[in-house]
Formats: sequence, C-alpha cells, structure tokens
Amino acid sequence: MIKHISSLLGAGALALGASLGSARAADTVKVGVLHSLSGTMAISETSLRDILLFTFDEINAKGGVLGKKIEPVVVDGASNWPLFAEKAKQLLEQDKVAVTFGCWTSVSRKSVLPVYEKNNGLLFYPVQYEGEEESQNVAYTAEAVNQQATPAVDYYLAEGKKKFYLLGSDYVYPQTTNLVLLEYLLSKGVKLENIGGGFRRDGAGKIISAGKYTPFGHTDYQQIVAEIKQFAASGDACVISTLNGDTNVPFFKEYAASGLTAETCPVVSFSISEDEFRGLPAKQLVGQLGCWTYFQSIDTPANKKFVADFQAWLKKTTVPGIVKEGRVTCSPMVLSYVGVYLWKAAVEKAGSFDVDKVRAAWKSGLSFNGPGGKVTTQPNMHLTKNVFIGETKADGQFKIVKTFNNVYGEPWLKGKFK
Amino acid sequence: MLPAFMPPDPMMNFLARCLRPLACLAVIAGALAAPAEPARQILVRAALSDDAAQQRELITSLTGRADAALVALLEAWRTDALFRYAPAEGTALVVQLTGPKDDEGRQAAVRIDTGAALVDAAGQPLKLAAGDLKAVEHTTSLRRAMKAVADLADLADPDPARRFKAVQTIGQAQDAAKLAPLQARLEVETDAGVRRVLREAIALVQLKDPQDATRIAALGTLKELHTLASTDFIKRALKEAEEARNQPVLTAAREALRAVENHRSFVDFFGTLFRGVSLGSILLVAALGLAITFGLMRVINMAHGEMIAVGAYTTYLVQNVFGTGITLPFFGLSLGLPGLDLTGGAYQTYFLFALPCSFLAAALVGIGLERSVIRFLYRRPLESLLATWGVSLVLQQAFRLMFGANNVQVSSPVYLSGNWTVNDIIFGWNRVFVVGFAILIVFGMWLVLTKTPLGLLIRASMQNRTMASCMGVRTERVNMLTFGLGSGLAGLAGAFLSQIGNVGPSLGQGYIIDSFMVVVVGGVGSIGGTILSAFGIGGIDQVLQQYLPVVAPGLGWVPGIGGFLQNLAQDAAVFGKILVLAGIILFLQWRPAGLFVTRSRSLED
Repeated sequence: MIKHISSLLGAGALALGASLGSARAADTVKVGVLHSLSGTMAISETSLRDILLFTFDEINAKGGVLGKKIEPVVVDGASNWPLFAEKAKQLLEQDKVAVTFGCWTSVSRKSVLPVYEKNNGLLFYPVQYEGEEESQNVAYTAEAVNQQATPAVDYYLAEGKKKFYLLGSDYVYPQTTNLVLLEYLLSKGVKLENIGGGFRRDGAGKIISAGKYTPFGHTDYQQIVAEIKQFAASGDACVISTLNGDTNVPFFKEYAASGLTAETCPVVSFSISEDEFRGLPAKQLVGQLGCWTYFQSIDTPANKKFVADFQAWLKKTTVPGIVKEGRVTCSPMVLSYVGVYLWKAAVEKAGSFDVDKVRAAWKSGLSFNGPGGKVTTQPNMHLTKNVFIGETKADGQFKIVKTFNNVYGEPWLKGKFK
Repeated sequence: MLPAFMPPDPMMNFLARCLRPLACLAVIAGALAAPAEPARQILVRAALSDDAAQQRELITSLTGRADAALVALLEAWRTDALFRYAPAEGTALVVQLTGPKDDEGRQAAVRIDTGAALVDAAGQPLKLAAGDLKAVEHTTSLRRAMKAVADLADLADPDPARRFKAVQTIGQAQDAAKLAPLQARLEVETDAGVRRVLREAIALVQLKDPQDATRIAALGTLKELHTLASTDFIKRALKEAEEARNQPVLTAAREALRAVENHRSFVDFFGTLFRGVSLGSILLVAALGLAITFGLMRVINMAHGEMIAVGAYTTYLVQNVFGTGITLPFFGLSLGLPGLDLTGGAYQTYFLFALPCSFLAAALVGIGLERSVIRFLYRRPLESLLATWGVSLVLQQAFRLMFGANNVQVSSPVYLSGNWTVNDIIFGWNRVFVVGFAILIVFGMWLVLTKTPLGLLIRASMQNRTMASCMGVRTERVNMLTFGLGSGLAGLAGAFLSQIGNVGPSLGQGYIIDSFMVVVVGGVGSIGGTILSAFGIGGIDQVLQQYLPVVAPGLGWVPGIGGFLQNLAQDAAVFGKILVLAGIILFLQWRPAGLFVTRSRSLED
C-alpha cells in the first residue's frame, strides 16, 4: 500500500496537481498504469512503468492528447494475479481511466480480461505472448508467436539447421508456443524424430505438449544439457529456449561447461532481452541468439534519439524508486512506448476518448514510426512490425543478423501450419 | 527471403574493432599470397559479382586451393572486413583496410587482387575510412560455401583442435569430393584424436557410396569407433537399406547401431553416476554448515540460506575488488571499494581468494547472530526457529538494499569453465571442482572435530552442555565458535554455488529446504549420515531424471494412471524431484530419526 501511495505521489506534479484541484481536471485525461512494482515480476515490470511515465512526460511536453495532459494513475499488481483484476476494476470503475497500459505475464492478462470486457475498457499489452486470444478490449502491441518464434525457426532453417530441441519454463507461454512451433517445424519438413525434448500424448496418441520443461527456479540442468549434447552430436542442431528469468543462468553456465557453443549448437531465447542482461552474465551467452521486434542496437536516428531522450529523462526524473544507473531499452519497453503513441493517434483520429471510437480508429490501420521502425495497427487488434534476429554480444547488446520487415501479427496459429 | 538489414553505424564500429586484428592478418596475407594469385582473382571476382549462384560457384571452385592467406581473406569477408571500393573512374575494387587510423578514421587500404597498397592516379597511397565504404555482402549459403573451403584448408592447420573440428564438419557434410583429401590427411596425421575423427569422417562419407561393399566396410568402421556423432547417419543408412531391402547392408547397419547404442548406455550410466555425485556434493556442501548448527547444536537455523548468500555475495565483492572496484549504497552512505584492476591470470585467481573471504565473512555474520540472538534461545527451539526466520528476512532485505533486487553477475574463472571429456562422458571442471571441494571440506571438518582441542570441546559441549560446563569448559565460547564454524561452511558453499547458479537476494531460499532435507534424512547430529544422505538423494534424483524417460513409455499398463505415467518423460526433472520427496516422506515414516540415530545419555534431549 505504501508503495502504491508513493508511486502515485511519484507520478509527480501531474498526479499531485490533479488531486489538488478539480478545476484542472477537465484539462487532463486519466490513464492507468497496471504493472507489478513489487514481488517476483517487479524486476521486469518496473522498467515498463518507467518507460510509460517517460512517454507521458514526452507527450505532455508537446501539448498532450486532444489538448489534454495525460494524468497517470499508477497501481501495483504486486505479482499477484487476482490482485491485478481488483486493481483493474479500481482503475475502470473508480478512477475511470480512458485507457490502461499494463500486464506482463499471460496469467495477469487473463486475470484482468473479464474486467475489461465487462466494463468495455481498453488495455494495451506490450509483452511477447502465446497468441490464441483476440479480445476487443485489448490492444496487443506485443509480439505474437509469428513475430518472434517462427521467424527464428526460419532463420535456423536458412542456416541449414535440421534438428531442433525445444526447452522451456513450465507455464502457458512456452507450452503454447512450443506446440505452434512443433506444427510449424513439421510443416517445414522437419521430421518428428529431429525435434528434441520429448512429447506428451493424450489417450488417442495426439501430441498435446512438446518440449522439455523445468519449473521456475530450477537450478540443476546437468541432465538436460547432457541430453542436448547427445542430440547435437551429429551436427546441424539448435535449441529453441523459452526458459524464463534467472533459470537461464544455471542453464547457460552448464551449457558452456559442457563444451556446447553458439557455433556447434546455437540457442535462441525468447525471454532474454537487453533488460534481462542487467542480471545475467552476458559473457556466457556470447553468440547465442535473440529474436525481438526491437533491439537497442538498431541504428536509426529515431532509435538513437529515443535512447538518448530516455536516458536524459532518467537523469532528471524525481519519481522515487526509479533506478537511474545502467539502464537499457528493450522490446517490451518500446512496445509500451509505441502503444501510448498509437493510442494517442487513435484518439486524435476518433476525436474522442470513447473506447468504441478509439477501437474503430485502431482497426482502420494507424501507423507510427517508432524506435524499431514503422508499426501499423491491424483489424485483429495486433500490430504489424519489423522482426529482428540478433547475436548476443559481451556487453549485453545484440548485433542484428537478420531483419524481417513488416510481419503481420497473427494470434491464431494452432492448426494453421499443415 | 528479405534482404539482410545492415544498419550502417554499429556495423562500422564493429568493423573497426574487427579490423585491428585483421590488419596484421592482411599483412601476412599479402606476403604469402603471391604464388596463389589466380585464387585471389577468383575471390575478387566472386566478391564483385551480383549473382548469388555465381558467387557460390566461384567460392566452391576454390576448394582445395585455399591456403592460410586465402582462409584469412574468407574470414575477413565473413566478418564484414572486406570492402568494395569504387574509384571515380575505372572498375570497382575489393580492398581491406590496415594500419592505424588517422584523425578522420582513415586507414591505409590494400587491394585484394594484387595484394599491393591502393594508390591514387598520382601513385600516392590512398587512405580510406571504413565508415565511407560498403562491406562486401554475404548470404548464409555463401557463408556456408566459404566455411566448406576454409574447413578443407584447416585440415592442415597446425592446431589439432582446429583440425578436429574441420574433419568433423567435413565428415558430417558427407560430400564424396572430400574423400580424397581426408584420406590423404589420414596418411600423415599423427594426433590420435584427429586420426579417430578422420576415420569416422571417411566412413561417414563412404556411407553415401553406391557400392554395397564400401558401405558395409564403412559401417564396420563406425561399429568399431561407435561414436555418438555417427548415430543419426547410421540410422539414415539403416532406413535406406530397409527401403531398398538390402539385407547385407541392413545387417551391418544394425550391428553398427547396436554398438553405438551400447556405447550410449555406457555413457549415460557413468554420466548419470557422475552427475549424481556432483549434485550430491552440492547438497552436501550446502548442508554441511547446517549439519553443525542444526545437527550438533540443535538450533533450527532458518537463516542458514542467508549465510550461503553472504558467501556468494562475498565472492561477488572479491571479484569486483580484483576488477574495477565497486560502490555500494550502505544504509544511506556510499561504501566505495577500490579495484585492483587486475587482468588475465591474476584476475582469474580471484576465486581462490574469495573462498577464505567468504568463509570468514559468513563466520563473522554467524558469530554476530549467535551473540545477539541465538545464545538466548538454546533451550527454546521453537523460538529460535521464529527468531532466525526473522533474521533471514532482515538479511534478505539488507542484500536488496546493498546489491539491488536484481541478481548480480559472478563470472566463472577460466579454470572452472571448461570440461574434460573422456569417452564421450563430460566432466565439467566446475563439477569436478565441487566434488573435490566437498571431499576436502568433509576431511577438514573431520580433522577439526576429532583431532583438535577445539573439536574435543565442541563434541563435549554438544553431547552434554551442563556436564561440559561443570568440567570447566567455557561452553558460551564453544557455542559461539561452533556456530561460527557452521556459518563459515555455509559461506564456503555460497562461494561455490555462485559458480553454478544465480547470486541474488533470494539465493538462500532455494537451498534451505534441500539442506534441512539432507540433514534430517541423514539423522540429526550425524555428520556421516549427512554425507550419505546427500549422495543418496543426489544420486537417486539423477538416476530418476535419466531413466524415467526410458522406463515411462512402458508404464501404460498401470490401471488408472498409466496414461499419466507414460508421459513422465517430458517433465523428468520435476517428477524426479517429486519422487525423491515422496520417497523421503515414506523413509521418515519408517525411520523418523533418519539414517543414523545419535543416542546420548544427555538429559537435555
């Protein structure tokens, strides 16, 4: 609660100004920020809170949205999924926010979804996810599976890889992604025996789960790495990893110690971005691949300006609890950033903050030139964007090795690849 | 396929970095390449061509003609260090940049076709900046063609490791054209390891031979070598023979596959054994401190995990002091630790210094904890549980305040990050080290407890505190030292665990349960029991992880849960652990006091 209050206060003069006088309320529009600022997800999600506050300041400095300044209402989901739903309810029913930017884990999104649908709210969701969902009350700025996982497979296939080992943390995103990948690999002519990690079949023999899974916080990867080593012994093998968070450290330490390298058997990780390298030893991952719709190393004037502006904002911000040193930008942060601008564009096109009108504007196809290049909204509430594949460097940045331009976001992939 | 996106600026920075080492290569290239002039011309022609297929053809035509200089050029191409230079008049050239940069970032350029310095119309040397030039592009298929050429040249490399890799790649490509160079190399090769992989590579190439006799002979060789790398190729040959109903080849392939599978089960068995011992050692190292504080002293020390974390963070600090130094926020103040700025070998020794430091740091924290909290609670185990749990929360928050909520990075020194592979069984050096280290501290502890006066006093006080105190033993002091020793051992464990997993504020939480489990199963108060139970739990866990996937598919017949059991393979890591825990619960039903029951006449119990 204290954290909640402090972050509310922390939202700065804007929030304070608004709570002081209702006279100025007409000049502002309330916008919800719903992320975990405490608990296990806080490490990742506070970065999104920071980038959102930065974006609001940037927009407000240029006159706001439809002449109104953005007034952020920051609430803490506390890595507690039922609490996310309660906070969402509070944002929609008490604060009456025009839009919410928030959620990281799929379970938190699933938890708030009924609240947004019941109240006809609008949630912007910025983190790569498993698809199989298309709510009219969510704007998915996130990477869909075909904007991250399948391009990575395409890259591997072009590199001449023939064997694919699937490994992930045991929860909904890796499970669903790996099932889609299994179908995709089979459709590309990869044989079932060349897909490693194991399968689970139902009574009828149909595969209902593919890949090897470990729980959060797993530390002993000896056996799995030994299995990968044997799997890769005949060459042309690679690993597709959806391991989450700090389990990557013991995995990659074991991987390096067993003599496997990016040259002999590369690993592409879908959950490691620049921000994660603040807590991961990048040296052990050099040459391993990442696949996102944005990398900080993208060399365009727009991105350079974005990175510099964010760093400058970090220096002067007075919001308590914001880490100022060693900050980087990463894909979920940039997708939060472009989300705000796309919302602004939709509101301006609709000429109103009304959710139905804003949604209609979104569906008409709006474009924004963000740090990762042009993004365009789609009728299915997702985004068309560029996909980049990068090799990890020792400084925790990525060297871009491949770009796929304007990839259409497609949430419904199960059963699509035959 | 979409064209590769090449952002100009980071690419150029990258190039500039690549160029420094390449500059000297280019000089060597220039000196050596004179006789191989035509090969260079071909390379230049390929570099200037716009047709991907033609490029590939030209590069492939270099097969067998590549020398060290050409390999260096191909490497330069692959790393974006070859540039296309189009002079105002005349045809485009391919150049490489060498030498130091001037103020404007320009360097001397060398023409690849002649190996001579690039000159302008007046004959003056021309200087170019990498940023103004376009690197010669390359595609994946072209890179692969280049690698094939380079691999063949690597066959004669003086470094056996490079030869080994090259031979392996050539063999796995199964290209009949490469047979002759491989056989020629086998004639002169002296290194046993490379000879072995050469024979394997030749056999793999011969698997594609149209002659049955050659294929059967190749399968015979593969059977004799029984390498894991040949598995997929033998399987493929087996399938082809099956489809062609070629009985003799089929038999040979089956035999070869059986030999490989036998070898695999051998590797799996000993690999599992080693992994079990290594996991057991980790459990042992983590639990040993608790075996003293909880086992001997009967303090339910919930802060044991945080003692491990103290050790791990101390390792992190020592690493930084050996490096560039570190500044820590220290309760409002800023605590700056200057760095020694060591590099190379000297820096790598940080871990050896970190070991005693983490022992001392954790021992000091432990002694502080004993003096301030635990000594008031020796006869009240439940209160000690609550108090130490509180202390553990306080310590975790202290870590967060000092080191941040994120995990910190502890890099492994080089001597702990390699491996030693015998007969395809991997012995990671970090794992070998933890096993040796566990043996060492167990031995050290045995020495301390049984051969020193302190050990005698510890044992006396722990067996019967009141009697010992009547005999003139200063039990207060002994308690303090014992608790310090136990905490110190936990600190050592932390130093070690930093090499294997994460270092973060909640590091200790991950190990506290395991530690209690080991001590309780072993029998509270028995060090020998702790050792046995650590290795037992580690071994069983690894055996289950390894063999559950093998056994599981055959369990479909079990009524009711057969379908569930069949699918265990995928989550072997989780189910292995669950089964171990269930086994421990049953075991404790049968022997509540653990493996070794310590009986004493003490009235305290």
